[in-house]
Amino acid sequence: MGILTDPSAGQGKITKAIISYHPKLSILLYISGITWFCFLAYTPLNAGTYFSENALLPGLVKSEFRDDGSAKLFYDELQDEMKKYDNSIPYPWILAKFQQIGLDTYTHNFTLNYPLGKSNTKYNGKNVYGILRAPRAGSTESLVMSVPYRPPTNINPTTAPGVAIMLAFAKHANRQKYWSKDIIFLITEHEQLGIQAWLEAYYHVVCGRRGVLDHGDLRGRGGAIQAAINLEFHDINIDRMDIKVEGLNGQLPNLDLFNLATRMCTKEGISHTFKNRENRNYRDPVKDWNYAFQTLMTMIFTQASGVPNGNHGLYHRFGIQALTLEGFSDRKTTNPGNFLSVGRILESIFRSLNNLLERFHQSYFFYLLPSSDRFISIGLYIPSVCFIAGALFLKACGKWFRLYKYLINLSEMSAEDKRNLELTENANENIKIISICGIFLFTHTIGILLMNSPKLITTVGSQYGYNTELSLYGGFAIIFVLLLMIPVLITIKTCYKSMTVLHVVALLEAATSLICLSMYNFSLGLIVGTFYVPILLLLEPCRCRAYSVIQKLLWFIAHPFVTLTLLVTIYTIFNFPNESFGENVLRGISATQQAVVFAIVDFMIYSNWLYGVITCVMVPNWICFWCVLFSTAKTDAYITIEKKND
Amino acid sequence: MSTLIIYFLGAFVRYWLITSEYQNVIAERIEISTPLNSWKRVTEGLHLLKLGIYPYAGDSLHESPLNLLAFNCLVKIFGEYLHIVFVVCDLLTSHLLYMSAKKYMEQIRKTQERNKANYAADAKDLLLTDKDFALSPIYVCVVYLFNLYTIFNCVGMTTTVFGNLFTALFLMALNYGSLFAALPLAIVISQSFYPILLLSPLFLHFVVTRKSYIKAGAAVVLCVMFWSIITYLCYRIYDRWDFVENTYGFILTVPDLRPNIGLFWYFFIEMFEHFRSLFIYSFQINVTILYLIPLSIRFRQDPMLLATSLLSLTAIFKSYPCLGDIGFVLSLYPCWKHLFNYIQQGFLVSCCFLVTTILGPTVWYLWIYSGSANANFYFGVTLAFATAQIFLITDILFSYTKREFSLIYGRIRKLNSKKAQLMLE
Repeated sequence: MGILTDPSAGQGKITKAIISYHPKLSILLYISGITWFCFLAYTPLNAGTYFSENALLPGLVKSEFRDDGSAKLFYDELQDEMKKYDNSIPYPWILAKFQQIGLDTYTHNFTLNYPLGKSNTKYNGKNVYGILRAPRAGSTESLVMSVPYRPPTNINPTTAPGVAIMLAFAKHANRQKYWSKDIIFLITEHEQLGIQAWLEAYYHVVCGRRGVLDHGDLRGRGGAIQAAINLEFHDINIDRMDIKVEGLNGQLPNLDLFNLATRMCTKEGISHTFKNRENRNYRDPVKDWNYAFQTLMTMIFTQASGVPNGNHGLYHRFGIQALTLEGFSDRKTTNPGNFLSVGRILESIFRSLNNLLERFHQSYFFYLLPSSDRFISIGLYIPSVCFIAGALFLKACGKWFRLYKYLINLSEMSAEDKRNLELTENANENIKIISICGIFLFTHTIGILLMNSPKLITTVGSQYGYNTELSLYGGFAIIFVLLLMIPVLITIKTCYKSMTVLHVVALLEAATSLICLSMYNFSLGLIVGTFYVPILLLLEPCRCRAYSVIQKLLWFIAHPFVTLTLLVTIYTIFNFPNESFGENVLRGISATQQAVVFAIVDFMIYSNWLYGVITCVMVPNWICFWCVLFSTAKTDAYITIEKKND
Repeated sequence: MSTLIIYFLGAFVRYWLITSEYQNVIAERIEISTPLNSWKRVTEGLHLLKLGIYPYAGDSLHESPLNLLAFNCLVKIFGEYLHIVFVVCDLLTSHLLYMSAKKYMEQIRKTQERNKANYAADAKDLLLTDKDFALSPIYVCVVYLFNLYTIFNCVGMTTTVFGNLFTALFLMALNYGSLFAALPLAIVISQSFYPILLLSPLFLHFVVTRKSYIKAGAAVVLCVMFWSIITYLCYRIYDRWDFVENTYGFILTVPDLRPNIGLFWYFFIEMFEHFRSLFIYSFQINVTILYLIPLSIRFRQDPMLLATSLLSLTAIFKSYPCLGDIGFVLSLYPCWKHLFNYIQQGFLVSCCFLVTTILGPTVWYLWIYSGSANANFYFGVTLAFATAQIFLITDILFSYTKREFSLIYGRIRKLNSKKAQLMLE
């Protein structure tokens, strides 16, 4: 180690500054990251939306849609038909209507093999779609208009007006000569499952686990799908259009499509909202910021879950830009409805899309919306998460340099000092790279096994007669408790050097995965960062027993499993303040069980990554830090050396 | 015993991955397979060969005809078990690197013994100990075996595996001072051209350590001769010269602009056609000549370091770089393990390597599969990756000079009663 003592090696001013100030600096970095993000909602700091793609402008011309009468007629007929079919789409009627209008009409069958539990449960579904062939081009490109059909027994608000307006629009569109892209009119069943199966069948791919969703086959196809508009109209009289964009794994459609939808709503005089919040301009900057920030946070929370908030969200992964128009009626009146304006909105949107020469590539794919006419681009928001992750890098750096300095001090010590030191700690022990690699491999293998375990756990659980929810939750709880024991197996607990290296590597892993995560899904990255980074900055193996216990407790709570249970329970307690505490806890736990099952099912059917990220990255990383916390290395000697030298 | 376990583990990891379902995914990655080294293209060439069609008739094959013939033999002999050849070659490479590092450390020891008298008094603890000499070669071997880049390179079944094997053979022969070094060098030159830069360390080695200009000249002439023979043989196979266009021409004029981890594609994709040749010249001069002369002059005393730095720079700047090249160079660095303590940006560089290695595939996914990111994201990451590599090699070279200086002049801390600092200028 002789060479380590070189004075000019890594002992510059910056190094010294990092060694002494890194705890404060990293807290500062974290706070500045959060502040940066909060300020983004302030209007002067973000940008107004604008059309980037000029090809989309033709929709602004005069609308010709006049089929509101037939829409009304379709709606009344559909209401009658729906009464005959409690649980499914009124296929004959819709097929007949599509054929009458003159579309190529097809049906599509799909089957879901429920992936959990022992019994092989199957669910069947059937979609209907009609294709309007473009008169001005071969079927090379197409657009989709889809409606998720909800039978009367469904608890969600009806979408029948959407079906009616779709049929009326199809009738209108079929008479026009200007279409250069096929238009596919799609009515799906079983909410997101139907659209997922249809898309998988369209592209002949399997997105989730093999054998879970049998997507069936399509007999008719259009060309490459350029864009899709999903309709969820709950009333024949639509006063307010909510535009939903958040898709699977937090993917968003091109901002131009969102702009297009907002402009067309404005043009037809129907007020539009984003996250059910209309745009407001307050004079008072604080109030203005507060309102925009709340909208922004609603978007962040929706996006972070990675669960699409409408059927549009499943198109995104296929490179199809899609959004949902959700129409509400604010007044409880019985006026005849405004199918005319709604139809004209659809007409304008589709005429604009029809004019696209290239697929969407202008404008932004990574953005946040504090209101429907302002946006925050990736260049503006990514620094915030970089600062937050930077805090972890800085801490890792500081720890590394400290270790380095410790080694230097050690090698500069006289032989006698060293012998004294030898009594208190094993300073001569080398860094055990193999053990550290071993710990890393081991924890990550556990993560991968955990990711693939649900099938096994539920099979075992069902043999003992437990249902899927309980066996999964119980299984995870048992695994969690077992994993808490891992530090017992660690042999390098007493070696200060090795434990520091482990700590540094775990910090680097956390920071790197935070950055990558926020590239995929910024909102998730931000939330995970905001929650975990302060705790990670706090964690520091120390000899003070009380402080060490507090740290362990804090980190225990920070385990995704515990956090989820706690959050859901607290949420339940706040939502049902009248119930007794015990009742609420039970309710919270059962809600957590359902959340876990939903996450896993989403992972298996739609390949929503949330579960994968948690089991493969967060849990292994959590275990690494858990091991670090159990470090019993004595650092006193190290500190005295430092004092002596300074 | 432990060495055997290491080799066995290295082989096991490779064998497991190469027979797993991930092999396809890994082989398809653009970071690993470039148009120049992808096994898929070789298979295509072999198929054309089998059909009796001139293999360069398509635009996909960029191996030289002789190499193609050799691969043909390999495929014929090993058939189903071809992947074992790749694993064995990689193990062999690691062992050759171990041998060359061992020999190199012996040379350093000799030089140190010889020059001990000239060293400054307080430079004693800068000298290398027996432990350093013993550990470095093992580290070289271990890093080659367990480096993710080389593992993926082997699993991706790229022809870089063979390139690395011959480069390692060259390095070993170089360190043993054998004229035989000319042959493997000629082979790698015929495969990927850029190793032509290694003629300089070959020449310098014989000048410096053997003090013989004749031998040095002979080595270079021998290498050029071997190369000519190889090229002639390539010509004789089909009696056509247009393979040159598909091999050397392909490397030098960079017609395939598929994204890779290099710096060429992004510039040339947007380049006006009439500026293309100008920039091709400047980019290629950057790889080949720009660093060759200054580095050769500065590090003439240490041909191994010179070879490593040249390999490293070509791995960064060449037209179709792949992770296999970078992994090879990274595994050579432990030869200078004793310099690591001088390195200024070690932590920064390793963070950069970690982040870019993971972020690269992330933005690639977002660009190609999700369609939401774009080429700029990916190029940004590869640029950061290249920068990290440049930082690393400059850091090592600078530390080397710093150590040399300190050995002779002692560790000056004060100059005219001010704190002194060595600067790279």
